[in-house]
Amino acid sequence: MNLYILLLIVVPIVFSVLFMLNNNQKYYKTLSILLCVIAAALSILLTLNGTTSITLSGSMFKLIEGLVLVCEILITIFLFWVSIKHKRWSVLALAVVQTGIAVYSELIVKKPDTLSFNVDKLTLVMLLIINIIGTLIVVFSNGYISEYEHHKQLKNKQKLYYGIICLFLAAMNGLVLSDSLSLVYFFWEITTISSFVLISYNRDEEAYNSGFRALFLNLIGGICFSLGNVLFENNGISTFSELIKHKPGTSAILLAVVLLCIAGFAKSAQFPFQSWLLGAMVAPTPVSALLHSSTMVKAGVYLIVKLSPAYAGTYVGTMVAVFGAFSFLICSIIAMTQQNAKRILAYSTIANLGLIITSAGMGTAIAVSSAIILIIFHAISKALLFLCAGQIEHTIGSRDVEDMGGLIYKAPLLAAITAFGIVSMILPPFGVLVTKWLSIEAAAQNPFVAIFLVLGSAFTTVFWIKWLCTILAYYKDDKECHSTMDLTVSVPLVLLSVMVLATSIFISPIFNSFVSPEVATLLNTKNDLSITHGNVLSNIGSFNDMIIFIIFIVAFIIYFAYKKFKPSKAKIKNVYMCGENNVEDKFSFRAANGVYEKANISNFYLTRVIKEDRVTIVGYIISIAIIISAVIGGII
Amino acid sequence: MNTLITVLLVLILAPISGCIFAGLDRKLTARLQSRVGPPILQPFYDFLKLINKENIVVNKSQNLYIFIYFIFAVTSLVLLVLGSDLLMIIFVYTIANVALIVGGMVTGSPYSKIGSQRETMAMLAYEPVLILYIIGMYMLTGSFNISSLDGAYMPLIAYLPIVFIAMLFIMSVKFKKSPFDFSTSHHAHQELVKGIFTEYSGPALALVELTHWYEYTFLLGLMFLFYKQNIVIGILIALFTFIFVIVIDNITARLTWKWLVKVTWTIVIGLSIINILVIYFLKLTIV
Repeated sequence: MNLYILLLIVVPIVFSVLFMLNNNQKYYKTLSILLCVIAAALSILLTLNGTTSITLSGSMFKLIEGLVLVCEILITIFLFWVSIKHKRWSVLALAVVQTGIAVYSELIVKKPDTLSFNVDKLTLVMLLIINIIGTLIVVFSNGYISEYEHHKQLKNKQKLYYGIICLFLAAMNGLVLSDSLSLVYFFWEITTISSFVLISYNRDEEAYNSGFRALFLNLIGGICFSLGNVLFENNGISTFSELIKHKPGTSAILLAVVLLCIAGFAKSAQFPFQSWLLGAMVAPTPVSALLHSSTMVKAGVYLIVKLSPAYAGTYVGTMVAVFGAFSFLICSIIAMTQQNAKRILAYSTIANLGLIITSAGMGTAIAVSSAIILIIFHAISKALLFLCAGQIEHTIGSRDVEDMGGLIYKAPLLAAITAFGIVSMILPPFGVLVTKWLSIEAAAQNPFVAIFLVLGSAFTTVFWIKWLCTILAYYKDDKECHSTMDLTVSVPLVLLSVMVLATSIFISPIFNSFVSPEVATLLNTKNDLSITHGNVLSNIGSFNDMIIFIIFIVAFIIYFAYKKFKPSKAKIKNVYMCGENNVEDKFSFRAANGVYEKANISNFYLTRVIKEDRVTIVGYIISIAIIISAVIGGII
Repeated sequence: MNTLITVLLVLILAPISGCIFAGLDRKLTARLQSRVGPPILQPFYDFLKLINKENIVVNKSQNLYIFIYFIFAVTSLVLLVLGSDLLMIIFVYTIANVALIVGGMVTGSPYSKIGSQRETMAMLAYEPVLILYIIGMYMLTGSFNISSLDGAYMPLIAYLPIVFIAMLFIMSVKFKKSPFDFSTSHHAHQELVKGIFTEYSGPALALVELTHWYEYTFLLGLMFLFYKQNIVIGILIALFTFIFVIVIDNITARLTWKWLVKVTWTIVIGLSIINILVIYFLKLTIV
């Protein structure tokens, strides 16, 4: 069983090496399917084994410690090399600071001579997400990346692409398995570096700019993390488990917690760090889906949820909650003004991560449960939507929502899956909405947080509906489209949709076997929330998910039965065009001079009222103010 | 068993009351315009006529969305009567609204598309007010369940007066009445092309009318909650809301969606928030 932990970290590294060995499409395809099967199997086996923890000491500790040290030195050298090569002095400065802290902590701070891994329920949830969804995305890459390189006229660098992605998967597995903060920090840095390499994949000006911005902002987070670690070690805390036992109180610990939270904010791309995630959208879509929506950014919220016992019920906790809620509101507002599907997804990701942070910050059992449930549902739905956005771009050659009109007639399967993904983000009975409901109910005791959530939630519905309506709308144009899907593309899409549906239906077992025990260990209180047979019940409200599912099913059965057995079929006529219809094309009308024109209506974006750059500035000011007040709260 | 009887009663009585409301609407409007007006049951006669007409569509899937709109409008009403979680009810009601918007959009008609998009904007305006109302209720009773109002010694309206006014405002939007009938209007007094429902006719339009009756009852039910303790006063509040909406409908001309969004997001939501904050800081409760 010790073996699974080891394998989960080692197997992706082995695959990373294997990918580097050969350059051949078939080879990649076989390897990625193999990786998907093995990693998924390992994570499921570990889950079946249940929670466990191991502590390494003696020679094993020495070995791992040495390995980590070597890798850290390599990372530092890489950082120096890449920043000097591209003359990015700000990144270089941060690298110098980071090295300084590392040397200081290595030489002066007394460290424990053990390293520990801990598999708790949250770890298992994260492992399942990383190893099932993550590897499905790797499979999806097969059908995507060659076409992408061909389209962008790039040199074939797929070796590097797959290699880094596997390395990243190993680092993510390590991150969530580690209990020692120093190990968490080590894997944290590897994810930062892999993200940088993958964002600058296109190797052009734009890609490098975005890559270095991501590196810069995440290094700030990394520095906060290492400072926090130093503070923790000075207080004799070196693992998450010791942190839970420690009652919140002394200010040094609270300050360290705030610093780690800031690291989490940076990783989760919250305001004021949000710009890196938006820039990261230049990367190939599978990268966005894997790193920037379903797994890596989840590392930030994972850390914040893990820290929740340390700040639950304190001033810092309230500030974290307000911070997340504000991020949710402002990103939802900006998302409504966006036309670019990938940017909509990026903003919505930041907003949802904000919602997770809010829930974690409130620190009650209901709220933390909601945070963990949202991590699960958001990862699946968002991975699906990102892959859909990428595939839509291949199909119609644009990622602009306005160009997606009538997609349901051009690529029915793809459009139906996308529509399903969108519906799973905004409507009950799907999990994301259940958690939105939960977090608003949990937030209602603090009206400031609740008001932010309520206002933000109105915007989220609007921007999703616009996209949903556009792809379902009946509007045909003559632009060319490639609606064929490779099996490596369609199978992951279908599997992910099935997972969205299945997780929403089986919300009760998921809650009872993962979320509830985790909340019990984290907060050490009785959970007021229970979910049985899809009925979410708390002491302040209830949400019967199963009934809505049943009504949906009954509605569909009645509708299709009626459609099949009714005596007369519906007669199809042309749409109303004031009597100026065109006989050949039912969506054209006769305009002045007898010219036929398409009747085309585009969506509202309110860009004249809501200007992205101005709202962003407001976001910067307020979010930095909240962070500063949290830091001050941590010191006092 | 009791629940089943309640559900059946709701399913039968709600459309009857909704139909009478719709009839009263036409009668009242006619009187305000110095006409005699149709009989009270005219909406029902219209319904019967529509349902027997030929089924004509422009798109094979358009009726599915209207059917979902119908089912979930009914579901939210049933949940309201059964006294479940009010926030859940609003989210279930969202399914109905989203289905309606998509239903307008899929037809491809430019008129329905414009109607759908305006309805989306209306949603942006009314949704926060509805949820703020619920949060106000939670702060006063400590629960999101409607049944918690039974034990309250004060009505909601006593501590949520501004939210009540905000809800009155929102009701005009939800009833799709002038000045906010920009997505579609019930009477043909403002336009010839019927917004979202342009391409719906015959049985589908009959279903839309039926859904409206359920929706009327549901919306007035939300207003009834402001004084749930006393059934008479509660019903009077609901009736007042209805008459208020009809009168406003007759004395105003249509405004744009921009105006609606601007006013709700500044004045209406702003004042509602102040109401909520007052409750929070004074620690008011009614249980």
